[in-house]
Amino acid sequence: MNETTSQPGGLGTTGQPDAQSPDVQRKPYSVVIVDDHAMFRTGVKAEIGRSVAVVGEAADADRAIAVVLQTQPDVVLLDVHLPGGGGVEVIRKVHEKNPDQKFLALSVSDAAEDVIGVIRAGARGYVTKSISGSELVDAIRRVAEGDAVFSPRLAGFVLDAFSGSIDLATVDEDLDRLSQREREVLRLIARGYAYKEVARELFISIKTVETHVSSVLRKLQLSNRHQLTRWATDRRLV
Amino acid sequence: MTATDSSHLEPDTHPSAAAPRQNGEATGDGPASTADIKSPQQTANDGVADPGPADPDDKPRATRVAEGAWLGGVCTGLARHLGWPVMAVRIAFVALATFQFIGVIAYGALWLLLQPESTVKAPGLESASRAGLRDKSRPKRRIDWGMLLALIALGVGLLWIMQNTGLGISSKLFWPVAFACAGAALVWRQADSEQQKRWRDEAGGKAWLAPFVARGGWPALVRVIVGLGLVGAAFGIVIAQQGQISHLPEVMAMTMLALAGLAIVLAPWLHRSRSALNQARAEKVRADARADMAAHLHDSVLQTLAMIQRQADDPRAVQQLARRQERELRNWLYGDELHEATLKAALTLAAAEVEDERGVPVELVMVGDCDTTDSIQALVRAAREAMVNAAKHSGADKIDVYAEVDEETVEVFIRDRGKGFDVDSVADDRMGVKGSIIDRMARHGGTATVRSAPDDGTEVRLEIKR
Repeated sequence: MNETTSQPGGLGTTGQPDAQSPDVQRKPYSVVIVDDHAMFRTGVKAEIGRSVAVVGEAADADRAIAVVLQTQPDVVLLDVHLPGGGGVEVIRKVHEKNPDQKFLALSVSDAAEDVIGVIRAGARGYVTKSISGSELVDAIRRVAEGDAVFSPRLAGFVLDAFSGSIDLATVDEDLDRLSQREREVLRLIARGYAYKEVARELFISIKTVETHVSSVLRKLQLSNRHQLTRWATDRRLV
Repeated sequence: MTATDSSHLEPDTHPSAAAPRQNGEATGDGPASTADIKSPQQTANDGVADPGPADPDDKPRATRVAEGAWLGGVCTGLARHLGWPVMAVRIAFVALATFQFIGVIAYGALWLLLQPESTVKAPGLESASRAGLRDKSRPKRRIDWGMLLALIALGVGLLWIMQNTGLGISSKLFWPVAFACAGAALVWRQADSEQQKRWRDEAGGKAWLAPFVARGGWPALVRVIVGLGLVGAAFGIVIAQQGQISHLPEVMAMTMLALAGLAIVLAPWLHRSRSALNQARAEKVRADARADMAAHLHDSVLQTLAMIQRQADDPRAVQQLARRQERELRNWLYGDELHEATLKAALTLAAAEVEDERGVPVELVMVGDCDTTDSIQALVRAAREAMVNAAKHSGADKIDVYAEVDEETVEVFIRDRGKGFDVDSVADDRMGVKGSIIDRMARHGGTATVRSAPDDGTEVRLEIKR
């Protein structure tokens, strides 16, 4: 257990990644929790409250937009399903006013349509609600520092969406396909490797792994590949 | 109650799969006959209250398909049902339209008779959509205008040739019939229930507003007016051809007056009965959904909660129960509909079994899918064995399984972050790894590699040609 939690924390800046160490060195990251279940908000707050500063909460889209714009936290923990149009709506409205706001999506639904939808709207990562507290803190730190957070499932979705039916006639080839290296990185993440393990496996630095993942995220958000939307809606997971 | 229901269900799924092929040929001769063939099967299906686990593929019913539809989705639906290319069906209808308008009439009839395809999603997603918890912006449906124009041109051309060669209807009747067809089509488009549902949504869910706000939306209004105008024009032409052109204004005025009077008298009654009908229907749907939901919750969640209370002093058992219930509920609410004989279904099942037996969560991620063959089944068994090993020996708190299917090969990775072992030191007589994983894969022309080191977890990689 201990090993598991410390491994994803392989960040280049600090020598020994420990969930507590950022506390000591710098101001803890500020977080707003957006979720319509009060019980879940309370639970998350109890779990991560010691490592990050929870500066706000919201239970629906309108309230979330107001709170996020007002407090401007480092990271917004955003439920995908939310009264008032879902997480996608919150990201869109907030980004209109503050395009730099960082979102980490959180959901019980593994429906590809929802996951890809919220990422394409601008979330910098996706984790399921069953994630452990320390892993969540780690994901928050990663997002706050500008990196992307890919769970194995999200990596699988992306590989699936970009695989096979690559249309060679598409306009923007760079955006519409993954490089060999990016594919390798994603496959390892899908196999359950933490960033640090991916780096060791491919003989590259963790920073390089993060660069690759961020680049995949960018492609996912910018590519207007028709197939990508089609894939997500067709698949529907229903 | 549910038990008796399901026991009743099982034998009731008698072979209603009466060769869709035959159905298809009948359709080729005259599309309208499809509806006749279908109705007995439909009644047979109605007997089965909930066709839940039945494979959607063996339901021999054509439906109208909204996705990719140009008009009512009839052609798309038929094409999917018959397994023909959509364009072929469309051209067939256009060609048929030139023979005494058979195509047009058949299309109209099918539009009314075919049920719209039910796009029922998992209940969790459905309810989230209804409650506005999800993003509503759906990708717009794309119509290939070029193709549509080409088809219209083809139809008009064929019609013109038919008329010119004298094979068609006498020119005296041609224009009235054409006008009447177009007008009736425009008006009858209102009968499309799919559209009505959208109108109701537009009216903000207020049923009493729907006929005024949504129905009165200008496109619908224009459609009705133009449609009625066309039908009127058809009458006008017929009357004019009878040589009584001088009486035309009076006849028209009288007809209009009579129609207007009738409309005024009947309107409130029509409206009331319509909204009452809608309300009753919605009520029934809601009640059904509630009953389903209650039955499901009773069968699953309530039972699990009871078991958890009984075993409250055994945290491992509680976790196992909670995990299984979570998986089951998640699958019901948001889950994939797994088709029987695919790799994904087999792996999901294997992972679930290991999870239940050993109490270690198994995280399965899949890219692509394929049907199972003998060698794929061997692969699944080997993968299951690897999962069991990981759960039994590694001490890890989670097992990651990743499967990727591409054109030639299938790869499965089973990984844990447990204590690992020295691969070389494994005695040859250790049946698990050697016999059920490596040798089994070799027998089916695949490979298995085990990578492990003490304190560094274990990863088993299985590969096989498709």
